Amino acid sequence: MAKNRINPNKAFMSRSKVQFTEDQFIDGLRTGNNEVLSALYKKYYNIVLKFIVNNSGTQEAAQDIYQETIIVLYENVQKPGFELNCQLQTYIFSIAKRLWLKQLKKSSKTFLFKEDGENELVDVSEEITEHLNKEVELEKLTQSLTELGEPCATLIKDFYVQKLSMDEIAEKFGYTNADNAKNQKYKCLQRLKKCFFEILPVEQIERK
Amino acid sequence: MRPIDLFENYLDGKLSAEEIVAFETQLRSDAIFANAFEQHKTLIDALNKSEKRNAFKNKLKAIHTQAFGNDAKIVSIKEETNAKRYFKGFAYAASVAVIAVLSTVAVLSTGGYLLKQQSNQITNLMREMIDLKASSEAVSEAIVEGITKGNQKAVYAPANLEGSAFALNNKGYIITSSHMVNGADSVFVQNGSLERTLTEVVLIDAKLDIAILKIVNKDVSKSWEVPFSFSEKPTDIGEKVYTLGYPRKDMVYGEGSLSSLSGYFNDTAMYQISIPVNPGNSGGPLLNDQGNVIGVIRGKITGAEATGFAVKSNEIFKSISALPVDSTRNDLMNKPKKQTLKGLKRTEQIKRINPYVFNVLVYKKD
Repeated sequence: MAKNRINPNKAFMSRSKVQFTEDQFIDGLRTGNNEVLSALYKKYYNIVLKFIVNNSGTQEAAQDIYQETIIVLYENVQKPGFELNCQLQTYIFSIAKRLWLKQLKKSSKTFLFKEDGENELVDVSEEITEHLNKEVELEKLTQSLTELGEPCATLIKDFYVQKLSMDEIAEKFGYTNADNAKNQKYKCLQRLKKCFFEILPVEQIERK
Repeated sequence: MRPIDLFENYLDGKLSAEEIVAFETQLRSDAIFANAFEQHKTLIDALNKSEKRNAFKNKLKAIHTQAFGNDAKIVSIKEETNAKRYFKGFAYAASVAVIAVLSTVAVLSTGGYLLKQQSNQITNLMREMIDLKASSEAVSEAIVEGITKGNQKAVYAPANLEGSAFALNNKGYIITSSHMVNGADSVFVQNGSLERTLTEVVLIDAKLDIAILKIVNKDVSKSWEVPFSFSEKPTDIGEKVYTLGYPRKDMVYGEGSLSSLSGYFNDTAMYQISIPVNPGNSGGPLLNDQGNVIGVIRGKITGAEATGFAVKSNEIFKSISALPVDSTRNDLMNKPKKQTLKGLKRTEQIKRINPYVFNVLVYKKD
């Protein structure tokens, strides 16, 4: 394992030439190494771009799908038991393909799909399902925060994400003291919960 | 102390050993309290995940601009044009072929939704056009599958919405969720023993999210003997419950227990259940161990995969009894009296219930 570790100096000094191994990519992604992330991003972009523009997508769509793919990869790599059982390229391509097909189908137009034998595929159903469920949840959260409005949304984020103290929040938002800020936060959180945990009907939407 | 403060102190490790014991005891004994705590954790977790993801997204955008900036556009515009030209040509050829096929099919069909079998050539054509392996969506599948099956098999246009429903009594009345049939153009039901048949909506209670349908063809329900009844006694927390429904083409069974006698925000018209409900489960029956219907599956909440909600069955009858007194009301008040499932094994119960749980297909005009 040690020999696979990235030497940060080396990576920095020969920025454009440095070649990472797949283990180094995974390791760097896991630890949040920006140099590695950047190299990885550049390395596989063209494969996904080519696939998407050849399958009725635009370059903008390719960029979005590719970034979503890297997010899926990144979030899976963070998992304790993550192990890659195929080439990184195969994994990335498989995720990108599934995400793009999903999007094409959502647009509900008849679309062309060129099956290419060039790129190998692996089963990434679990990753995709998990990702899409998470997307629904995060989308709902974004909506709920918008509905909540200001200053509530920022106040909630400041407290729960930025971990500001009640004193700091009182100061920032102009409440007379920490207790008042806390009361305000309580009210905001109750409202947010009401939006976020609203019951969703579970009908099956086949097409528009 | 407000529950939220308690949750936060617990999560931040600010409670004393004694308080922790008391807190954890309450979690085990008080389902509503435990649920509120779960939701609190889910929400805070989602807030943090969301911020983390946004930060990562911005990082990727920055990398992209730095790496490909404007250069990428010049390179790919060419690629894109070629791809588009190719796409347009092929799409045109393909769409002509499809229109030809579909219009032939339409001429042969007897109803608006009915398409009849053609030949295997169509199958091949469709296969070229649509990635079958990856596409599980009904649009392509329904057409292609139907075509490859024998000559007599009818093929229908995919419904706009699908869900579940179950028989209310022997007179051809069926219960489902009102959010399914709201604004519907036509509503069909079908299952393993019943060919798709048309229904009419006779009651919608949007507040309860309940709708009652009636099968138009009276012959269908002539031989009905609904095996379950509707529970009149209140159900206890912890009781084993199950549901049957159509989240996909085949009926799917789901089991769990009754977690709370009220829904979220103390809605007493609902039960909370620990059954994971999926799209398509809406409108299905919630049954107890004896095979009595105690509710109708309504939905779930964001972020909690194994939490569902069901409308209590007695609420449905309250809603029905508020109708003006006429023959329909009398029909609807007529609960199935014979309960033939008690004491039977679960698998045996399901076999008997099976014909009375339906897949609802809803068509809407755009």
